[in-house]
Amino acid sequence: MNKFNIARLLVMLFALTLLASGCAKKPVAEETVIEEPAEVAVVEEQPVVVVEQQVDEAAVARAAAEAAATRAASGLQRIHFDFDQYVLTDDAKQILADNAALLKAAPGVKVQVEGHCDDRGSDEYNLALGEKRALATKNYLVSLGIAADRLSVISYGEERPLDPADNKVAWAKNRRAEFRVRR
Amino acid sequence: MKIYRAALLTLLFCSLLAVPALAVRIEISAPGEQTIPLAIVPLLPMGTAKAGIAEEFQQVLENDLTFSGLFDLVDPESFLADAKKLTLHSTQVDFGQWRMLGADALIKGGYRLEGEKLIVELRLYDVVSRRLLTGRRYFGKLRDVRRIAHSFADQVLLSLTGELGPFNSRIAYISKRTGYKELYLMDVDGHNPVRLTDHRSIVLNPDFSPTRKELIFTSYKKGNPDLYRKEIYTGRESRLSLKPGLNIGGRYSPDGREIALTLSKDKNSEIYLIGTDGTIHKRLTNHYSIDVDPSWSPDGQQIAFVSDRRGNPNIFIVDINTLAVKRLTYAGKYNATPAWNPKGGRIAFARLKDRQFNIFSIRPDGSDERQLTFGPGSKEHPRWSPDGRFLVYSLDENNEKSIWMMRADGTGARRISAPGSSDSHPAWSGRW
Repeated sequence: MNKFNIARLLVMLFALTLLASGCAKKPVAEETVIEEPAEVAVVEEQPVVVVEQQVDEAAVARAAAEAAATRAASGLQRIHFDFDQYVLTDDAKQILADNAALLKAAPGVKVQVEGHCDDRGSDEYNLALGEKRALATKNYLVSLGIAADRLSVISYGEERPLDPADNKVAWAKNRRAEFRVRR
Repeated sequence: MKIYRAALLTLLFCSLLAVPALAVRIEISAPGEQTIPLAIVPLLPMGTAKAGIAEEFQQVLENDLTFSGLFDLVDPESFLADAKKLTLHSTQVDFGQWRMLGADALIKGGYRLEGEKLIVELRLYDVVSRRLLTGRRYFGKLRDVRRIAHSFADQVLLSLTGELGPFNSRIAYISKRTGYKELYLMDVDGHNPVRLTDHRSIVLNPDFSPTRKELIFTSYKKGNPDLYRKEIYTGRESRLSLKPGLNIGGRYSPDGREIALTLSKDKNSEIYLIGTDGTIHKRLTNHYSIDVDPSWSPDGQQIAFVSDRRGNPNIFIVDINTLAVKRLTYAGKYNATPAWNPKGGRIAFARLKDRQFNIFSIRPDGSDERQLTFGPGSKEHPRWSPDGRFLVYSLDENNEKSIWMMRADGTGARRISAPGSSDSHPAWSGRW
């Protein structure tokens, strides 16, 4: 009996507190609403500052990316091949390692790898050989961690020699893979 | 009387023999071939004369017939009175005079101008049998003199050999005279060059449709070596094959319904057959090596191509039905650009040795290889005339590229492209 009364009392107390809190909350809420405009004004100012900062950061990032891209564009070194070969020489692999570092520093940069030949073979064969050279170059860069979708290939065969002369030095120059940065 | 009858019989015998005898002599690749003594009488005016017509006609006709290698021209200085007479009927010709000069065949003709219109009458006589072998009447314009001469040269070859000549066809080629490699078209003697493309990129390796006045070629115009088709007279042009990678070395099948070409869409060059709408019909090779440069057999059942599957570039033949591959060339270290004679019999190709190419020919079974070109300069890209009697090719000497022609046996080589224009990659059209 006693227990029941205590319980009843508790429920009533709970109901009262609910009512009390409900009544008490209203004025507080009204006050905060009144104060709100000032706070909103501050909030309104802040985004402007934040946005400006974001612009700066993006610009900085862009400038950095630009610089990396420029470094990549000017720094990517061409590699050379032996006659009728598309296997990468040790020298070529060394150069490609440097190129890979430049490309990693400029992740936004896409590159077209151009395969070229000297003009001694037949034209069609050289177009195919130039493509093999470009693909061997691309595959090696991919193995060094460059995303494959950043690297496209094209073969110019013997159509675009660096040196049109007809001697060993010129031929060696012309058997190459080049990198053309596409932005 | 008896003598007279004997002479008549002899004459009859001769006339019976004359045509077959001529035809037999004209087997072009026969070693130690004999030539036919031929007299070409300058065209006579059949009305008012116009300076230059007869001369230009004579020059073109002589040029073609001399190049054929089938004739020995009788010196016009020795011509007698009959040369001054326009005799367009065999009964009017004084064959005795031509017999005296040693001529076995005789060409006579006349021209008439009617305003802008030019009419040319031409006759080829067999002096021995005193017969008309072929008579032709051409209607054209004044500027068609060369064309008429080429057409009649073709008829002369048809009449004497049973196979039409190729002189009224065209040569497509690549020239860099504008600074870019573009596609051009010219007569077989190098006259009337016309530029067909303005891609300002790199245009490569043309081939004629055997059935239409249409060419295919590769161009980098859109940044990838794609295969293009171009209608010659309308100028209409479209991309026929634009797979990623190479779309190169397109060659129409003999019936014009398919094109063999090299594609590298799967990261390696392979030979494919595509339809004239560009869809892939069949892959012919499947090897990690380089496979390029297809050339059709005349029956359209086999394709010669270049592959380095045994180490160095060599010529192989693939059967388009069974896909069985056999090797054709074993000699030399670098063999390329095969061209199958459209009349069968031989495959021409270029072999690189001591830093220069020379042109060879070989039977499709790999026997009887012969070197056709010698001397300085690199000779590449052989292509046959539609009658299979001649080859056109590129010469690269002292950094000047020019187009040359020769007979199937390598004799009679002559330059046909103009000096200083950097021309290469000729292709010979079919019958025009």
